[in-house]
Amino acid sequence: MIIIVDSLNKHEYPELLDAMFQLRARVFEGRLGWEVNVVDGREIDQFDDLDPAHVISVDEDGDVVGCMRLLQTTGPHMLSDVFSCLLDGEPPIRSSRVWEATRFCVDTKKLTRGKHPRSISYVTSEVMIGAFEYGLKAGIKDAVAVIDPVMDRVLKRSGNAPHGYLGSPKPMGKVTALAALMDCSQARIDSIRAFSGIRHDVFAAQPALSLAG
Amino acid sequence: MDIIDLSTVESSPDHCLLFLDQLCDRLELDCGSYATTNPVTGAVQGYANYPDAWKMHYMRRNLHRIDPTIHKAALSIAPVDWSRFEQDERFRAVFFAAHDFGVPRKGITIPIRGPYGDRGLLSVTRDCSDAEWERLIPEIIGELQMAAVHMHDAVMRSDVISRALRRPKLSAREREVLQWVAAGKTMQDIGDILLISNRTVEVHLRSAREKLGALTTVQAVGRAIGLGLIYPK
Repeated sequence: MIIIVDSLNKHEYPELLDAMFQLRARVFEGRLGWEVNVVDGREIDQFDDLDPAHVISVDEDGDVVGCMRLLQTTGPHMLSDVFSCLLDGEPPIRSSRVWEATRFCVDTKKLTRGKHPRSISYVTSEVMIGAFEYGLKAGIKDAVAVIDPVMDRVLKRSGNAPHGYLGSPKPMGKVTALAALMDCSQARIDSIRAFSGIRHDVFAAQPALSLAG
Repeated sequence: MDIIDLSTVESSPDHCLLFLDQLCDRLELDCGSYATTNPVTGAVQGYANYPDAWKMHYMRRNLHRIDPTIHKAALSIAPVDWSRFEQDERFRAVFFAAHDFGVPRKGITIPIRGPYGDRGLLSVTRDCSDAEWERLIPEIIGELQMAAVHMHDAVMRSDVISRALRRPKLSAREREVLQWVAAGKTMQDIGDILLISNRTVEVHLRSAREKLGALTTVQAVGRAIGLGLIYPK
């Protein structure tokens, strides 16, 4: 199930956020070898301080098994700053209708192959459905996602192929990174749902916003 | 387009209010407001077409200091429906009297972020049933997003220094797409010419349009020609 954690409700999910930062450390420093800043086994960067929204997938054991970070492209975001090399020196997209997705990952240690709920493919689809449904409701038309070639192949195979790319793939750590464009549309959500067999509402019932502090 | 283009005029309070009035008329809303908080001084600058009596009440009591539609909504990347604030004491403290002033309590706030960490908020309200509100918002949310950035950029540009800093930076692709639009090509034609999907062409075009502060593609082409970013055919 998917939980959206942003700066409005993060005080309600401290453990979830902590587990997510640990998953990101395992994936981005460990598996992908990116030059990320890991402290105490947690990968946190300056964009986490800019009030992003995190799309977090939690499995039946209560473990964080997938996540993605969303930021508006009208404000500071990774492609306008640290990933600008991917854009071949070109200025980034800036649009009220485009969100940027970064730090997209799933727990490949815990998840397995196949299409069942404990599979890489299922959790990937679940995170994407969550992000696109959240975006669609917000009036977003497209997302630009910084991904690696493995993720790119997973997307293409799961009814969720990017409709284009910005700039060109660049080496980053052990793999290359690329900036993929995906429309945030009902058609794409339907296609991901058809492929993954996820028909139910992916969102966990979140408690009414308590605005402590 | 029957809405004032703030990027072509000095963004005076009059123009900002006119923009809000026209936006409300076009999208069938009752009231609208825009606010931005100065990151250094914390001062709130804003415009609203609320009834005057409500504005007086709001200012006299300094309600902007506690109003969660200003302070909390800015923490979200997505529009925040005011129904999310119903349990919030501060929201109730600010808005409990609103109805007496003719201010509807159904509202939504669109948070905007600018490239320098600047943030703005466009809020709109309407007096209607839940069902009507839930039907309306999905229809207009995209327009509200674009209007919010248009207004925020205009307010941020209103001083000379930031105007100088904000010459639009278009990518080569965005210029290419605009150049072909100027030549009368369709999205599909341009996609075929550039060997990209027409959906990707649309993303570049929308981004270019917003960077140029244009409300329509025709304006964007005109402005890009004026800035020497593309060449007239």
